[in-house]
Amino acid sequence: MASVSDRPTAPVTASDLDLLRKFEPVVSYTKGEQFFPTHVEHYISECSLWEHHPDGRDELLIRQGELTMEKLIESRPAAFGSVRYLRFIEPLSLAESAQVLGDQLLLRRKLGGYFHAGIGRLARGGILPRLLDGLFSLSFVMRGKVSAATAAAAELDYSEMFSEDPRYTYYGRVTRQNGWTILQYWFFFCFNSWRSGFHGVNDHESDWEMVSIYLYEAGGELIPEWAAYASHDFKGDDLRRRWDDTQELKIAELSHPVIFAGAGSHASYFRRGEYQAEVNLPLPGWFSGLIHTWNKMWTETLGQPAINSFHIPFVDFARGDGLTIGPGQLQTWSPVLMDESTPWASQYRGLWGLFARDPISGENAPAGPMYNRDGSSRNSWYDPLGFAGLDKVPPPPQMLQMLAENCRKISQRQEELEYLIPKKAVELQAKGARLEGMEGNPHLAKQYGALEKEINMLSSEVRNLRREVWENIALFQGLTRRQEQMKAGGQDDLRAHIHHLADPDDSTQVLRFDRAAETWAAISLSLLMFAIAAIIYFAPGFIWAGLAIILILFVVAESFLRGAFVQTVGRITLILAMISALILFFHFWKWIIVGALVTMGISLMVQRLRELTG
Amino acid sequence: MAKRKKSDKKKSPIAITVIAWAIVVLFLIRLVQVFEPLIRNQFFMKGITGPLFASWRLTSLGSVFLSSATYMVLSLAGIVALVGFLRLHRWSWVLLMAWTGGSLIISLVEYFYSRPNYAVMASNVIIAFALNNTEVQRIFGIRRDDGLSL
Repeated sequence: MASVSDRPTAPVTASDLDLLRKFEPVVSYTKGEQFFPTHVEHYISECSLWEHHPDGRDELLIRQGELTMEKLIESRPAAFGSVRYLRFIEPLSLAESAQVLGDQLLLRRKLGGYFHAGIGRLARGGILPRLLDGLFSLSFVMRGKVSAATAAAAELDYSEMFSEDPRYTYYGRVTRQNGWTILQYWFFFCFNSWRSGFHGVNDHESDWEMVSIYLYEAGGELIPEWAAYASHDFKGDDLRRRWDDTQELKIAELSHPVIFAGAGSHASYFRRGEYQAEVNLPLPGWFSGLIHTWNKMWTETLGQPAINSFHIPFVDFARGDGLTIGPGQLQTWSPVLMDESTPWASQYRGLWGLFARDPISGENAPAGPMYNRDGSSRNSWYDPLGFAGLDKVPPPPQMLQMLAENCRKISQRQEELEYLIPKKAVELQAKGARLEGMEGNPHLAKQYGALEKEINMLSSEVRNLRREVWENIALFQGLTRRQEQMKAGGQDDLRAHIHHLADPDDSTQVLRFDRAAETWAAISLSLLMFAIAAIIYFAPGFIWAGLAIILILFVVAESFLRGAFVQTVGRITLILAMISALILFFHFWKWIIVGALVTMGISLMVQRLRELTG
Repeated sequence: MAKRKKSDKKKSPIAITVIAWAIVVLFLIRLVQVFEPLIRNQFFMKGITGPLFASWRLTSLGSVFLSSATYMVLSLAGIVALVGFLRLHRWSWVLLMAWTGGSLIISLVEYFYSRPNYAVMASNVIIAFALNNTEVQRIFGIRRDDGLSL
């Protein structure tokens, strides 16, 4: 573990830009990534501005080519429920769509660096998640979606923009809260191509990503303590890593944390790898309740591992084998300072790309760094400490003072208790003596009752005070130990604050027969459809039995390829046994109850007779 | 020197005895299911008296032979599983679970499409639950002591 003295420092007097440059990250992308951090001015100049009205109408406010930063932030009153949004790619005709898709192929051939999924996400989940994935894909028919042609056109436009102005930009913000100096690096992308480019969950125009570095002051220097990367499925404490956690946080050129960006999604990861993101289906409450009850019985009564099949596995490829941008690399950053006074950040609350009318928002563009999609303030902006769970953590130099202050307060309270407890105990005894004196005097019944109540309350109070003494002793010991540990320069567990650690998949361990399993994953759903069709056509009388048997056969075949044959056979047989048990109970409930009662009666009788004969 | 106790062997859980007896019961029932339709069709007296297939479909005699053959396979598999089971081989647990699963599928298909044999169904249910017993799974190396399924 690296000691604090090994860490890079920056003088407290350093300018915001110098601070940002000193700790700016190195971002490593996946081969095949199409969009990189760019600057917003050029993007805005390529967009049109729209307003989606509550009645469903979309109104063009400013045409493409006429939009400027000044026009973007102009005040325009709007009705409740309306959504203001930018549009990077204008609607395309069929011919234009075909043209851009063709041009996209040519561009990719020219740029090279193709992406290969390897063991695809479908092979990583079972057959039920795959079935649900099919439904998820079909759901785009109902939901709003960004088309493949839009994604292709965005790729072409970005490529053109980049050739005109080849810069990689981040927007840096420096803010100070509760003794921490926070450096935020915001990255803007023209497009999120996770779904169309990398088999992910969604596509949307524009994308904002952010990482933060938390510094504390000691001896006139700022020292980095934490780095937090925004990522899917994680929040609060789980987002941050300590600077000396070298296993998790890679540091380049002494002071630059390394980010592995998800392909297309641009989500930030501490380690390179392929991360399984899961989309849980929005199930109705009663169905979730049913699954919860089933899982409870399945795990607690039958001792089986929990099954959560109602999710769709998606892979976020953060391989870091593509372009790398940052200090010491071939490509470096063009930083731009940003704060609350930056007009486009603070005065434009709309979406930064197409409003696709997706009710679950996956395909709608995000808002800017300061706002959520609904125009409310983004917590990572107004509460950068709380965003990474650091609102409760004092900077290290203040930690010692706070521990000492806590110890002082506890000692003071102990002194108070040392005086208070004997006083209350004597009072309790005196009242007890008075109570005993009242016994045998029926005319004092009322006073006796009142005094008894008083004594009970006092007794409870004394008991609580005594407990508090012992609790304070334990707490004091803990705090003192921590103080000593900190004074000796020792630090606690690097990952004690993490509840869920983002772990990349070990793809070599996932499947038994890689190629066969992948092929099976690709064709099994279609084969299932064909088998069902065959049953409907050839044996309509046995449709339900046929369906069940086919499903079981598919699951067993799948389990064999995934190396989970034994577990799966056990589970299936257990489910069949439960169904059969229900049938048996339905037909023979009277006999079963009689049998159970007779058995219980005999058992009880044997026990009692054994007791009797002794 | 104190004499060693006669038996230091760990006692097998009751579930193993239950499973073994249930397999024996099932074997006997399956034997009846093998021979009863053959006897009914006077196979042992007259041999095969008609065609088994007619225009690519099973005749009623063919169905009798098919079901008898299926039950025969199930009975033999049951005996193999029982031998392995009593010797506490891991494969026998897997075979027995698969065998019970197959048998339960047949019972359920029979339940929904014809007349099921409830004794067979009940025996299979008992075997399935007994095989799922944590202690039994540990003995056969299906589950580790930390509860992890292998």
